[in-house]
Amino acid sequence: MKLKHSLFTRRQFLNGLLGGWLGALLASFLYPVIKFVFPPTREPDQVILPFADFRDMVPNSVKNFLWGTKPGILKKNDDGSYLAFVGVCTHLDCNVSYLEDQRKFFCACHDGWYDENGLNIGGPPPRPLRRLVVSIEGEDLIIKREGEERAEGK
Amino acid sequence: MKTGIQSWLDERFGLSIITKFLKEKTVPQHKHSIWYYTGSAILIFFTIQIITGFMLVFYYKPTLEGANESVARIMTEVPLGWIIRSVHSWASSFMIAFVFIHLLSTWLTKSYRNPRELTWMSGVFLLVVTLLSGFTGYLLPWDDLSLSATKVGTDIPSSIPLVGVWVTKFLRGGEDVTGDTLTRFFGFHVSIIPVFMFILLGVHIYLIQKQGMSLPLSAEAKKEKVREIPFWPNFVYREMIVWLLLLGILFSLAIFFPPSLDKAADLMAPAPEGIKPEWYFLFLFQTLKIFPANIFFLPGDTLAVFLILVVGIMFFFLPLIDNKPAERKGRIITVIALVVIGYAVVMTVWSLL
Amino acid sequence: MRLRGKKFLGLFLLVIFFLSFFILEFNFAQQVTQEEQEEIIQAKEDQEKIIPSPQNIKESTGIYVFVAWMWIAIFVLIYILRLKIREVDRLLKLRFLSAKKK
Repeated sequence: MKLKHSLFTRRQFLNGLLGGWLGALLASFLYPVIKFVFPPTREPDQVILPFADFRDMVPNSVKNFLWGTKPGILKKNDDGSYLAFVGVCTHLDCNVSYLEDQRKFFCACHDGWYDENGLNIGGPPPRPLRRLVVSIEGEDLIIKREGEERAEGK
Repeated sequence: MKTGIQSWLDERFGLSIITKFLKEKTVPQHKHSIWYYTGSAILIFFTIQIITGFMLVFYYKPTLEGANESVARIMTEVPLGWIIRSVHSWASSFMIAFVFIHLLSTWLTKSYRNPRELTWMSGVFLLVVTLLSGFTGYLLPWDDLSLSATKVGTDIPSSIPLVGVWVTKFLRGGEDVTGDTLTRFFGFHVSIIPVFMFILLGVHIYLIQKQGMSLPLSAEAKKEKVREIPFWPNFVYREMIVWLLLLGILFSLAIFFPPSLDKAADLMAPAPEGIKPEWYFLFLFQTLKIFPANIFFLPGDTLAVFLILVVGIMFFFLPLIDNKPAERKGRIITVIALVVIGYAVVMTVWSLL
Repeated sequence: MRLRGKKFLGLFLLVIFFLSFFILEFNFAQQVTQEEQEEIIQAKEDQEKIIPSPQNIKESTGIYVFVAWMWIAIFVLIYILRLKIREVDRLLKLRFLSAKKK
């Protein structure tokens, strides 16, 4: 089916070609700029700590550790087992604290409450505290991202 | 033919004066018109420096402890950081090279003739500011080589009697090169110098637009009028070809020959062997080297700096000195210019041997 | 309306064609895992000098692809610009001649 008139003039075609290729070239330069300006997140896959630092923890107490750039909370339960959380409130990223007498995690920013297992029970937090997987291997306390074990196929 | 948005903006800004001017601007075409491309080439590289500079400043730490380590981080951890740093480093050399080419072409075609004296003078200031930008930027990675180069470079003004010591103190932020020098140089490089650069560029570019493109003496002497092409779009399309080629060469060199980074400078260590400034300062460096320690009763380097200053001042006032460019005086000045250029080239090559 | 529709389709396909280069590049730039990263940083700290170089074969291939694509785009653009220059110069000559005639 032949068209009666062409879709665009020769000048428009040439201008479109020029603009298009120029745009493509600039877009390809934009890619490294964007990658540079937005570096990848710096959360580690796992953190290895000397168990000796945490062995003598009193039950129902917490100790902080560094999870990349975020605060990590290691809690010793009454039965001697350990729980690890990313100590960042799921509401607006404030650091949470553990109130031992109340057995609750508390976020001072907007009055957020979590129970001793990190479940959000009061205030604005929409989700429980992010859990991390704790394992003890010899002298080391190993804290991993949840799901990491599944990824390793263990 | 204005679109709705264009006329809306024009009612408020009144910028149609500028677009009208640009549409009517013409560029002469003659034997030497290839040199007209050097000005915008400098601007393209300057733009690249600003963009890559903005990105580098996101990660660079201008302190004694953080400088070298932050540059190392940019080169290893930050995604494609080494390319951004490499482009910034190469583009600075390209920009200064084209500043020199632009200078040579305007110098030898005597574009500074009446009424373009101020264009030349603002250009000399731009040259100084650009070289200072290169000098201050060179220290920022804070490795042994750049520290030594800065020590030598900031020591040079001190050989001027009376005021010299104060210039050195001003540059260094004290008697010696310290962490304070680094922070001060960073302030110069990213803030103070760019402000002056923009002001001078504004003056320089305004004068060029107002007075139109200059013609070399040979073209002016011709009886018939020189052929002119419109700036937009004819000249701009030609300029774009030049920009594309230059950018292609710049990025290829930056990707395949990126600069390395030595470990952090040690303020207490002796100067490393074979220190040299960047290539654009080599002719000055060699000049200082060849002057003996003492000439009559004057220290050698005082005389050298003094001579360089005198030449610099004559250079600045060249349009007023060369007031009869078409006559014998003008031709003698051209010969002197060629001698000076030859001297600079010989000194540069000598310093590399 | 059908004409307009074809115009938009053509423009859309052209945009996709050029975006595909962008996406290709994305695939070629290898995301280095954190472990490898730490190893590299440690190895580099021991060195006196840091000489940047691509980390793996995918990255070096990506660089060559990018440089090749960049030069292809530059030469294509120069070709198109030469056509444009020929066009505007011809227009200039016509207007010049027609102005003279008057």
